[in-house]
Amino acid sequence: MTNYFDIDDILAEDELVPATFREATNGVGLFDSTDDTNKVEPGSKVELPFWLAQELHLRQAVTVNVPPCFNKRTREEIDADAAHVDLRNRCPFFYELGYKIAPLVGDKTIGRVLLIAFRTRYKEVLIKAHTAAFEATAKFLSLLTEEEVKLYKAAQSSAIAFKKWRKGGPRFQKASVLGRKRKPIQ
Amino acid sequence: MASQSDPHGSAFSAAELEFLAEDEMVEIVPNIRMDPLNLISGDFGPFRPQIATQVPLWLAVALKKRGKCTIRLPDWMSVEKLTQVLEAERDSARDFQPLPFHYVEIARLLFDHARDDIPDIYMVRSLIEDIKDVRFHKIGTGLEIISERTYAVKLLNLSAMEVNIVRPFVAKALETFYKLDSPEMIQDAERRPDARTQAPDRGPRRPLRPR
Repeated sequence: MTNYFDIDDILAEDELVPATFREATNGVGLFDSTDDTNKVEPGSKVELPFWLAQELHLRQAVTVNVPPCFNKRTREEIDADAAHVDLRNRCPFFYELGYKIAPLVGDKTIGRVLLIAFRTRYKEVLIKAHTAAFEATAKFLSLLTEEEVKLYKAAQSSAIAFKKWRKGGPRFQKASVLGRKRKPIQ
Repeated sequence: MASQSDPHGSAFSAAELEFLAEDEMVEIVPNIRMDPLNLISGDFGPFRPQIATQVPLWLAVALKKRGKCTIRLPDWMSVEKLTQVLEAERDSARDFQPLPFHYVEIARLLFDHARDDIPDIYMVRSLIEDIKDVRFHKIGTGLEIISERTYAVKLLNLSAMEVNIVRPFVAKALETFYKLDSPEMIQDAERRPDARTQAPDRGPRRPLRPR
């Protein structure tokens, strides 16, 4: 799944995650704009994109904290009714980020949250993809994460392609070069 | 093979499946005299007026278009057979009736090109539509069972078109479940307790490699 050229993978790694610097670091004052010293004090909290946080974590420069989309409140909402939690608002790449960040923060429960959320929401996606009219889906789609939208689109586009085929219409498409008149040669 | 029409959709487009379905054999009754055709896929004919012979669907359609034959309706497309199939489909919530692998496509091609060879065409058409709807509904409800303990989905007697329509969705769903249920994400101790409760309710779909 993880693919260097996968645009969704790149976007997922762009999500901001909270991190705490372990050491004073010079030259990265842009993370902490409270003074002009262009350095970060140990213990200061910053928000870093995941790809940077991961690298700094590997070099033991920062400690990655659990992002707000996996906080207690979200978990409670997921336990209560996962299908109607607005995950997209919290993190458009909920599953991807959770999957990547779990080993970094050493939180063993994230995996379970992801699984429970997906198990419940998968059914909702399945039902909606097969039944809902197109107008009714806009509201529903706004709750889904990118991964779920992809799944939903996969189901819908194949169903639409089938319906189109069944309705018929022109079986052969004319190539655009055909029928174009050649310019008279002077 | 990527689809020509929609690179992100099914592995085949519907038109490509129709192309594959054209290799199915049908019986025709020619009204012309013609020598056997020796093609790479086999020898067809000889064609004698009023003597039935087996040819691939594409050839049957081509001859039919030129008014050189009548196509005999396949057995499974008779009203009685289809009524039986429809009833059986409605009776069982899980199993699919055996129909030709390309039944959707064959039916469509025959409806398009050989409507005068089909007795009770409206009846046959609506029966096939009904069968298709029942089966699609069944597939939809059947897929709800997929969870993190599904490693494979067994779909006996499913037709080419039906498989093709659900393929992108099922593949993506299984992939995500597999990823989220990987051992690094979920520790074994917490996996066990509810593994037993859901196991019996799996119907015709069961994991090939239960953990």
